[in-house]
Amino acid sequence: MEKLLKELQHADLHNQTRRHFLQSAGFGLGALGLGSLLGSCGSSNAETGAAAEAMGAKIPQFAPKAKRVIYIHMAGAPSQLELFDYKPELEKYHGKDCPAEFLEGKKFAFIQGVPKMLGPQGKFNQYGQSGAWMSDYIPYLQTVADEISFIKSMHTDQFNHAPAQLLLHTGSARLGRPSLGAWSVYGLGSENQNLPGFIVLASGGRQPDAGKSVYGSGFLPSVYQGVQCRTGGDPVLYVTDPNGMNRNMRKQTIEAINEINKQTYDDVKDPEILTRISQYEMAFRMQMSVPEVMDVSKEPQFILDMYGVKPGEGTFAMNCLLARKLVENDVRFVQLFDWGWDGHGTTAGDNVEGGLRNKCRLSDKPVAALIQDLKMRGLLDETLIIWGAEFGRTPMQENRNGVVMPFMGRDHHLEAFTMWMAGGGVKKGYSHGETDELGYYGVKDRVHVHDLQATILHLMGFDHEKFTYPFQGRNFRLTDTAGKVVKNIIA
Amino acid sequence: MLTLLQASDWTYFIGRFHPVLVHLPIGFLLIAALLEIGKRLGKITVSDTAITFILFWSAIGATMACVAGYLLSLGGGYEEALLSDHQWQGIGVAVFAWIAWLFKSGIISKGSFVYLPALAFATILTFTAGHDGGSLTHGDDYLTQYTPEPFRSLAGIAPRTEAIKEIKPIANINEAVVYKDIVQPILEMRCVQCHNANKQKGGLRMDGMAMLAKGGEDGPVFVSGKGSESAMIKRCLLPESDDDHMPPKGKPQLSESQIALLTWWIDQGAPADKKVSDLKVTDQIKPALALLSSGSSGGNGAVSSASPVLSLKVAAPAQKSVEAVKKVGLLVMPIAHDKNLVQISAVNAPGFGDGQSGFLTYLSEQIVWLKLGHTKITDGGVKELAKLKNLNKLHLEYTGVTDAGLNDLKNLQYLEYLNLVGTKVTDAGLKTIAGSKSLKNIYVWNSAVTENGILEAKKLRPDLNIVSGFNEARVAEFLKAGDSLKVVESPKSTK
Repeated sequence: MEKLLKELQHADLHNQTRRHFLQSAGFGLGALGLGSLLGSCGSSNAETGAAAEAMGAKIPQFAPKAKRVIYIHMAGAPSQLELFDYKPELEKYHGKDCPAEFLEGKKFAFIQGVPKMLGPQGKFNQYGQSGAWMSDYIPYLQTVADEISFIKSMHTDQFNHAPAQLLLHTGSARLGRPSLGAWSVYGLGSENQNLPGFIVLASGGRQPDAGKSVYGSGFLPSVYQGVQCRTGGDPVLYVTDPNGMNRNMRKQTIEAINEINKQTYDDVKDPEILTRISQYEMAFRMQMSVPEVMDVSKEPQFILDMYGVKPGEGTFAMNCLLARKLVENDVRFVQLFDWGWDGHGTTAGDNVEGGLRNKCRLSDKPVAALIQDLKMRGLLDETLIIWGAEFGRTPMQENRNGVVMPFMGRDHHLEAFTMWMAGGGVKKGYSHGETDELGYYGVKDRVHVHDLQATILHLMGFDHEKFTYPFQGRNFRLTDTAGKVVKNIIA
Repeated sequence: MLTLLQASDWTYFIGRFHPVLVHLPIGFLLIAALLEIGKRLGKITVSDTAITFILFWSAIGATMACVAGYLLSLGGGYEEALLSDHQWQGIGVAVFAWIAWLFKSGIISKGSFVYLPALAFATILTFTAGHDGGSLTHGDDYLTQYTPEPFRSLAGIAPRTEAIKEIKPIANINEAVVYKDIVQPILEMRCVQCHNANKQKGGLRMDGMAMLAKGGEDGPVFVSGKGSESAMIKRCLLPESDDDHMPPKGKPQLSESQIALLTWWIDQGAPADKKVSDLKVTDQIKPALALLSSGSSGGNGAVSSASPVLSLKVAAPAQKSVEAVKKVGLLVMPIAHDKNLVQISAVNAPGFGDGQSGFLTYLSEQIVWLKLGHTKITDGGVKELAKLKNLNKLHLEYTGVTDAGLNDLKNLQYLEYLNLVGTKVTDAGLKTIAGSKSLKNIYVWNSAVTENGILEAKKLRPDLNIVSGFNEARVAEFLKAGDSLKVVESPKSTK
């Protein structure tokens, strides 16, 4: 018995490290300040108080224009040269050898030797009052051209999917940083107490190459990580009560577990325990709220038609409709991933002609419908939609291992690609930046991935240079040491 | 004004000690007077030597303050008449202090009746000289500027006009008169404090076109048509540590875009009454002009939102009021860290109804964004919302609000966004609310508003963005966009 007590004491001392002490002191003070100023996020009842503190928001540096974000990531990277970045000059060079200056000192994921140039496959035209260039791949998006701000001069540092996705979402090509969604919820808090502030929906049959880290919380408390919901079947596995357990019994169980967790927290002050407590509580509330918000059967038929959704399907279109329902319920950040946009030209599905057309056919209508739907509900005003991928595609046809590919394909390209944003404080019917006449390199107003992140944070009310989190002895920020707000794109 | 000395670094150096020295005789004299009164009323016991000692140092202090004050005045830039009054009153204080001391100390033993009047004069003159000195430094309305009502009208002081701290957004930039609407507000904000009718540093006044054109001691401040060669621009562009830099080190500085605007105005011949559209708008000046119309010309910081309500300064919300509103289940969130304005959301309070809406009036100044969509509020509660005078965005989608409720909202002067999706509001209600001058976006999808009603309201307010939305017919129309799409079963191979 004595031995047991000694062990307990030892374990306790072990937990009370200097770091824990400092952490708890800092956290306590911070929570005190926030609590008095704000205390808004979370419920008012005392037992969830501790967890609510963990979800407390920072106060924006300036009034936010975008209060919610829907980030549509086309994993694999569609070709900007087939969709938005119209290069008639490239047509003339179709089939000719790539100029040497495009290749000198450059590295590509697959291209070797001297590839041939590949002309644009889509038929381009200008649409809307703004005269935005779009191809016949995306006829629905043409109808909302005047809502969109294009950035045609995006560039990145990474030419492989996983590191490029990490760079885009976490600001670093290596693992361990919080994602944009996690930063957003850390900054602005979560408004709806019955739903997570950061929800992830994936389609296309596979998860993004970089895995869960692209929506992880990194060194932020894990309460800020993205919660992935399934689109077909149960939205969250095991969220329903098993047979024979009623809701009241579930409630008592969770209360008992949380009481124990709270005692442990009082002892060791590890904020991760607060995360655990709040997640138990959230899971309990989600038992009611999630099935309701993920159920599209009450939507009128014409809305389902507009998106092209059949209830029960787990498609990208369904995810777009769900994204609308989630932001309608004040979920802060909805991340959509759609896999299958890589267009190397290796197979009938993986190319910039038929393969890309088919991906567009499945995604073009729901994306346009999402813009229309948010607009008519008065939600586009404060909801920022971001569409894009981790990088672009080369103006050259891919020649993997020096051999011409069986289908028309393009290699990964980091020097130039197109992204677009709509709603949430960006200009309507605007295009920012230009590439050279072959679409290889941004020649005007280049926008790096860090610049995009700085701009998104700016729209949400944060100065990316001041919005930091202390970790391992220094203050970290999403944009690391770079990033410049693209002021021209802001309305 | 008499001029005995030539101004030099030494005179300025000593002169600037005037504000330091001047407070010594003020304090000493008042103490001496108080002690004298207390003693004569029999309230305290204090020796005459003590009072004499204090009087001696009062006289020394007053004399030193006079000397320093004279040296300071050599720098110029003060209103002559006021300066002269102040000077003679100050000398008076010193003279009467010496007289009082001479009699009190017994150095002059005859005619001790002179002592009390001398002390009284010295004390009174301390007040008047002090007041004039304050007026010289801070401007003559400094003391009474913030007089609250009703004393303000009783004293016959004109209603207060706010000093310009930020330039108000200009709605139609092309119609703005460049000098009156752009240049003068910038000068008011950054220059006029030291270059006005009362205080003319460097002999320069910048509070009007005529005075500006006249220039100061160092000559003209601008050369028409040559912005970058003009003294007022050159001084702004000098490094802040330079002695000639303006505004002086430590004072709020002009932003790059403000300097650009002043330069542009001078380049264009410094016209007094031309509009922006009359002048040549160069590519370089466009961003600065654009900033003006979005209301963020004041600083170098973030691009602020177009809505003027966000630049309002309101009192911090009372903790109790915030608590009361939160008790109802509402979220109260500050919109930015340097503002006291708040946004409120009922996302977690679907049962929120008319009974609770009174709580919102606790924060009637602070609430700018209010989300009450999907709650039980009806026209009765909307009446309370009309008291939220700074309301800017209002969500009432899927609530019981009807046309009657809108009547109460149309006079909200900052209301720009109104969401009425899924309500029973009809064409009549839309017409009512279209009477709001501030409203920019209104959402009426899924309400009882008809296409015709929208057209009618558009006639009243062509600039109002009335957003309706899709019904079955319009979705069918939308779906036609994809007619050109064909499933590509077997893409052609390049081989």
